[in-house]
Amino acid sequence: VTHQHVEKLVLISAIATLAALGLMVASIVFPHPLLLVLAMSVGQGLGTLSLALYLLAIALDLQGGRLVEDAPGASEAPPPPPPPAT
Amino acid sequence: VLPKRTVSSVNSVEDLLKLVTLICAAAAAAILVWYLARRPPLGRVTKVLLLLGLGLLPVLVALTGNIAGYEFTLSRQFCGSCHVMGPYIRDAADPNSQSLAAIHSRNHKFGDQSCYTCHADYEMFGAITTKMTGLKHLYYYVTEYAGTGPDGEGGPPIKLYKRQDLEKKKVTQEVFNQRMNGVCGQCHSTYAATWVEKHGAFADDVRSNAQICIDCHTEIHPTALSRRPGAQKTAAEVKK
Repeated sequence: VTHQHVEKLVLISAIATLAALGLMVASIVFPHPLLLVLAMSVGQGLGTLSLALYLLAIALDLQGGRLVEDAPGASEAPPPPPPPAT
Repeated sequence: VLPKRTVSSVNSVEDLLKLVTLICAAAAAAILVWYLARRPPLGRVTKVLLLLGLGLLPVLVALTGNIAGYEFTLSRQFCGSCHVMGPYIRDAADPNSQSLAAIHSRNHKFGDQSCYTCHADYEMFGAITTKMTGLKHLYYYVTEYAGTGPDGEGGPPIKLYKRQDLEKKKVTQEVFNQRMNGVCGQCHSTYAATWVEKHGAFADDVRSNAQICIDCHTEIHPTALSRRPGAQKTAAEVKK
């Protein structure tokens, strides 16, 4: 899993949350039966899914960081910087 | 700081919940739009902000929105948002009507929630079963009544679900009677002196659910246009 994958997951999650928020706000501003049912089912389903995606993205990001730390040579001291040219 | 007009229009818990919902939704949307527009690196601050915008605030929106939405579904205005309910809603709001629905709607204990108060199932999980039935209402409204006349002319007759359950033998007569009298019995204890005086001969039958209130009190709603004989006519034909 690359950093790009994590960013893509967060991006999808953000867009899905915006859509879910739109539905939930619409049901409050225009309380029509169909909108209320949509907000309470599709809206909240979408919101839950996007939160799960975000948590997955964070877990993958943390795991990726740990993998880099565990990689051979990653825990060794970094090589000293080259001496400045005189 | 909220505009003075917005704050002064908050008159009930439902209004307050709606306001909280809108504020949380606006805050969450602001964070998300900021992220989408700027696309900052996923550092600690960005992650915490996104947790707010994707998790905490939307959860609050859902919670408060659900309660506000549920509260609104109890109101007469909500029941009237399906046009086939027009005759019932107009009658309930008519100060001169003598139907049971109108008389009860004038009582402040029923007031704006008069439809729900009488039609909701009164059992332990009554609120849940009532809302499940509401979903059935919505399904039938969309599939069978959406294209009908201004008061539902041309649509199939409207029948009470409790009555339909009895006709389809989903419930026994005893359970049906219990449910029907249970609704009235929420307020009418059948032990008040005036009630006993008027119902003396039937008191025990009503208490034991052998007889139901609406056997005698039949003027519950004015018969809606869609239930009248020849109801398959269009609105224009009815006017003629």
